[in-house]
Amino acid sequence: MKRRTFLAGAAATAAVASARPAVGQPKATITYWNGLTGADGKVMDALIDRFTQETGIRIEQQRLPWADLYAKLQVAVPAGEGPDVALIHTVEVPHFASDGVLEAIDDGTLGAKGFRGDDYLPATWQGGVFQGKRYSLPLDVPQHLLYLNVKVMKDAGLAGADGRPRIPASRDELVTMAKKIARADTFGFAIGTVNPGKYTWGFHNLLWQNGANVYAPDLKRAALAEPAAIEVAEFWGALDQHLKIAPPANANCRDAFIAGRLGMWIAGSWNFTGLRDAKVDFAAAPVPRLFKQPVVWVMPHQYSFPKTKIADRARREAAWTHVRWMTDNVAEWTLKAGQVSASRKAHADPRITGDPVLRTLLAQGANWQVGQPTPKWVAAENVTRPIIESVYTGQKPAKAAMEDLARQINALPD
Amino acid sequence: MTARRRRQTATAYLFLLPGLLLFAVFRVYPLLEGLRLSFTNARLGRAAYQFVGLANYTRLLEDARFQVSLWNTGFYTLASTLPVLAVPLGLAVALNRGALRNVLRSAFFFPFTLSVVTVGLTWLWLLDPVVGPFNYYLRALGLPARSWLADPATAMWAIIATTVWWVTGYYLVIYLAGLQDIPRELYEAAALDGAGSGHAFLAITLPLLRPVLLFVVVTHVIGSFQIFGQVFVLTDGGPGDATRTAVQHLYETAFKNFFQFGAASAMAWVLFAIILVFSVLQFRLLRGHTEY
Repeated sequence: MKRRTFLAGAAATAAVASARPAVGQPKATITYWNGLTGADGKVMDALIDRFTQETGIRIEQQRLPWADLYAKLQVAVPAGEGPDVALIHTVEVPHFASDGVLEAIDDGTLGAKGFRGDDYLPATWQGGVFQGKRYSLPLDVPQHLLYLNVKVMKDAGLAGADGRPRIPASRDELVTMAKKIARADTFGFAIGTVNPGKYTWGFHNLLWQNGANVYAPDLKRAALAEPAAIEVAEFWGALDQHLKIAPPANANCRDAFIAGRLGMWIAGSWNFTGLRDAKVDFAAAPVPRLFKQPVVWVMPHQYSFPKTKIADRARREAAWTHVRWMTDNVAEWTLKAGQVSASRKAHADPRITGDPVLRTLLAQGANWQVGQPTPKWVAAENVTRPIIESVYTGQKPAKAAMEDLARQINALPD
Repeated sequence: MTARRRRQTATAYLFLLPGLLLFAVFRVYPLLEGLRLSFTNARLGRAAYQFVGLANYTRLLEDARFQVSLWNTGFYTLASTLPVLAVPLGLAVALNRGALRNVLRSAFFFPFTLSVVTVGLTWLWLLDPVVGPFNYYLRALGLPARSWLADPATAMWAIIATTVWWVTGYYLVIYLAGLQDIPRELYEAAALDGAGSGHAFLAITLPLLRPVLLFVVVTHVIGSFQIFGQVFVLTDGGPGDATRTAVQHLYETAFKNFFQFGAASAMAWVLFAIILVFSVLQFRLLRGHTEY
């Protein structure tokens, strides 16, 4: 074949190929970053496979531990290398919004995509707003729950005639019951999955129950040196040191609960499917009121759209399609991943209301509380961790520790 | 310089150029960029930042947590150096001869082939206060169990023990190489003169291992000042700040507490200066009578 003939043939083939309609070709491929590194990641994979089958939109996931995910977002997005969608925790919204990492979502777009505030529980919907602008849409509501190991409770004589474990109604009752359980290698009570000593989310839950918070209402100064916060810190420090009811600061409470070495355990709702898989005989109850009010800590996951350097309408549309699809199919997520949805629509699903743990999670909805909407929240959490651990292990007295913590939080840069 | 000599020098530099370029781009440039950032209030992900002079450095003088982390790093370095020097040396002397030496050398070297995360997670489980085997056997023997990593009195020692277990195999190989270089005749002559094995060790082995000892001390001290992995996995700096080291504090400042790259860079340069001073001191102290 002569060169000229070959070139003419190649050009003709290319022209025919480019004129052919794109029938059968996959639609857009979008990138999706999340930190679902546990069993919930597999559930998400299955749902994404279904989504791709139904819509033709492919999703490339990048999954890494939450802390690494956030550092990566902070670097990648300004460099134009961010994902199309990112799943983040509610408390991350203010600092990412303030640093210009997230795209704001206007009311017009929100309405056009069929998202309405009335469809959501207020604490979750409001979590996507920072300084009057919306930056994210809630998916689900990871939250605390009281787990009771039935065998441990029975062995300690803390079960009723029906074999159901007793549920503590106050702090004093919890301590009394926990003391009945506690032995050399068995613990009565713990908060947190691993490393209970520095479980900031548990400490926050107790703070909120006592009407205290990390920042004063104006969000400018730390409020942790207030008497209500110190009272919580004193209880925190007493758990292992004086009351002798809780495991050491670095214990793996989940393993201890599964191994029958822990009776009452306040921990995240993300644990219960794993406990079922491990065939642990457990009961679930709402987080008990240990201080003034029965507040329950929650940390909704939020869908966000990181900023891109070059606007790609097709990919953005595909990203919206995915968020819409997940919202419409969130009941499947709730049932398999064990996280109740932020959207109310799925709450009436009989499969969800028929599950005792999911029913318990939904029942505490009126008491849900999220972190304060300040860009400094996450940094304040990180500063809190070692200080509450030093209280838990008895290295520092509660009052001095809380004053030190307030000082450190106030010193965080703007 | 003759033309030929000049050509030879130019050729040599040409061969060195790729390496030098990589070194300049991936080592020198980040180092100098870090120095520049240390004089700014730069935060990761924020385009705008200001020059703040020495503010990041003066703030370190008031930063109690940084000072605690430096103290902990110094303690770790001091406390771990002797076991890291002595344990592999003792094993190397024992394994220098003998029928099972190759098998045992491999066995001792094995932990070093593991990543720091694997080592950390293994020891985390071994020392787990509730379900860990270490405490299980202590209880079985009627001894009190302890939360080794959650007790400020024992946490750093547990990290040191883990490190010694991990790096012993590596230094063992280095020592063995050094021992092989010592002429056998010296030991034979010493034996003829009536020297026992202890005396021969002190009079022959130790002095002739001086270059190896220098290498082990310098590399271990530099590595100790940069310790991060074991602490990160085993204690995350806790309990409280009891095992927080300088690099851990630096990492948290840069990547956890508000992405303060300016402040973290200042910490990195202070650490660099400390390591430099110690390295120079060690070279001076140990170089004196070394036979290379």
